[in-house]
Amino acid sequence: MLPKLFHITPSGAAGLLFAVFAFFVVPTLAGSLWLNVFTSMGCFTLATAGVAFMYARLGMVSLTQVGLMGVGGWVMLRLNHGFALPFEVNMVIAGFATMVLGWVLALPALRLRGLYLALVTLMAAGGLEIILSTFQFPNGGSGFWGVQTGSGAAFRRPALAQSPEAYLRYVVAMVTSGFLFIELHRRLAPGRAWALIRRSEAAAMAAGVNVTFYKAWAFGISGLLAGGAGALLAGSLGLLDGGTFRASESVMLFALAVVGGARFWLGAVIAAALFRVLPALLNNWGVDADLSFVIFGAGLLHAVIAAPNGIAGQIMELFAGLIQKLSNKLGLVASIVIEGSADD
Amino acid sequence: MIEVQNVTVRFGGVVALDGVEAQFANPVSGIIGPNGAGKTTLMNVVSGFVAAQNGQIVKDNQNLMGLAPYKRAHWGLRRSFQKEEIADDLTVAENVLVQVDHSTLTAAHKNKDVAHVLEIVGMADQADRPGARLNSFERRLTDVAKCLVGDPKLIMFDEPAGGLSVEETARLGDLILDIHARTGAQTLVIDHDVDLIARICSETLVLDFGRKIAFGPTAEVLSDPKVKAAYLGTEDI
Ligand SMILES: Nc1ncnc2c1ncn2[C@@H]1O[C@H](COP(=O)(O)OP(=O)(O)OP(=O)(O)O)[C@@H](O)[C@H]1O
Ligand SMILES: [Mg+2]
Repeated sequence: MLPKLFHITPSGAAGLLFAVFAFFVVPTLAGSLWLNVFTSMGCFTLATAGVAFMYARLGMVSLTQVGLMGVGGWVMLRLNHGFALPFEVNMVIAGFATMVLGWVLALPALRLRGLYLALVTLMAAGGLEIILSTFQFPNGGSGFWGVQTGSGAAFRRPALAQSPEAYLRYVVAMVTSGFLFIELHRRLAPGRAWALIRRSEAAAMAAGVNVTFYKAWAFGISGLLAGGAGALLAGSLGLLDGGTFRASESVMLFALAVVGGARFWLGAVIAAALFRVLPALLNNWGVDADLSFVIFGAGLLHAVIAAPNGIAGQIMELFAGLIQKLSNKLGLVASIVIEGSADD
Repeated sequence: MIEVQNVTVRFGGVVALDGVEAQFANPVSGIIGPNGAGKTTLMNVVSGFVAAQNGQIVKDNQNLMGLAPYKRAHWGLRRSFQKEEIADDLTVAENVLVQVDHSTLTAAHKNKDVAHVLEIVGMADQADRPGARLNSFERRLTDVAKCLVGDPKLIMFDEPAGGLSVEETARLGDLILDIHARTGAQTLVIDHDVDLIARICSETLVLDFGRKIAFGPTAEVLSDPKVKAAYLGTEDI
């Protein structure tokens, strides 16, 4: 009867298993090029988790997530080159700074209907693109913007994760914490408020839910994750480039979150893999990486027409079906599993 | 005592409520009228979803008009909607718990309160079922539980019997009649089911085209020729 805070759903168990695999196995198998690709994919998974959660739980469309990653990355590099604080402190500050900036940009739109938030965040993404590509990222130079020509100063990675392998593990741990952080919220009062807001704002207000407050809360979490993801991305290479954070990338990331399946952890992983791994793979095969846009487009069409829960939704259904068949054979009742996998 | 004081609402050219005035003193009162009469609009004014051009809503000396809608709920306003609004991905218990989430009581206290109201409406054994798996009557009962939980002062039901069978409607009527004794709250009920209104509402307000055409003891109001004329030709009666 009490809302269960610490139970593990089948989808959650699969997610934790996947995290363990990514933590222990992937870093030992990947070569140095692929370590970088997977680390970057991890960072984008964290950012996608934020937009996907906002879309799946509240129907809110944010088109500035990659721009906000840029903000987090900028703050991380600025702090790294300006002060001698540890990586973790910088990352936390970057996350919160991004959250606050996200609020400032989106707060006027949070009171309005969904479309306005999408438009306002898109404009914000455009603004961030211009700022980040004009001023670039701090690399040890002097002054507020901290940019110097030539090679940049050294970046201090976390004490725990100096090597590329260890850093990938570090990112995997952070991404997992990000998912757990969202899930924890979902199981507490904010999650209940969000579920009602998605059902209808009038019903939420009638139930005593401060709609604007809880929308802002969700947007704040998403911004926090974007900022953290940007900070981690900065730590991956030690420097960032304005071209990474174009407004079009934010739109792409949102679209891929829908293609992947915004309701599921696996959806964010698939989205990030399509976003970062697929182009690298095509490059590796000597195919023009722009082909990935065609594949994304086909994926989006597929999602819109046939798979409202995205690729992850289809995979989850498939597994639920398999488990049911299996347990029918074993004479078990699979209903618990099916019920659980309808939702992460 | 619920006082509706001279409430006027216009939507562009449509006058949805035209200086409506009524004082509800009984535990359960009704609001009836043909389709489009302005019944739901009146509830929306009380909820704070629709801004009135003019007028006040006062309950036991508390003027509700200055409060944001969610603050009215914190104060003790409860309502159900014409179309039930149960969140599909929350369990029955969670759907009810939302209503008291804002309160500063301990979690144990809130959970006990939720369990208690689910017991009252007969949904205790369904507490852990997700909203998506409820039938329409179970959804209604969950709605009623939401209205009972916490410390309600004013409860409004918008067509609670819509789509229910005769037995279900009778059960719902019993629950509504018990509300005052259980919680001390006053209840307003909108419905097209005149039998239900006649059974549970001591006094009734009749609206037609946004105007009050009758108000008083339910039996008197229902036999009023003006009320009969207003309903003549509408398909609901
Ligand atoms: N948000 C709105 N914008 C414009 N007009 C509205 C709005 N809400 C209600 N109206 C109009 O106000 C009038 C009263 O509507 P209301 O929903 O209050 O009627 P009702 O008595 O609840 O009817 P029903 O029995 O069909 O539920 C109708 O003419 C309706 O079209
Ligand atoms: Mg109505």
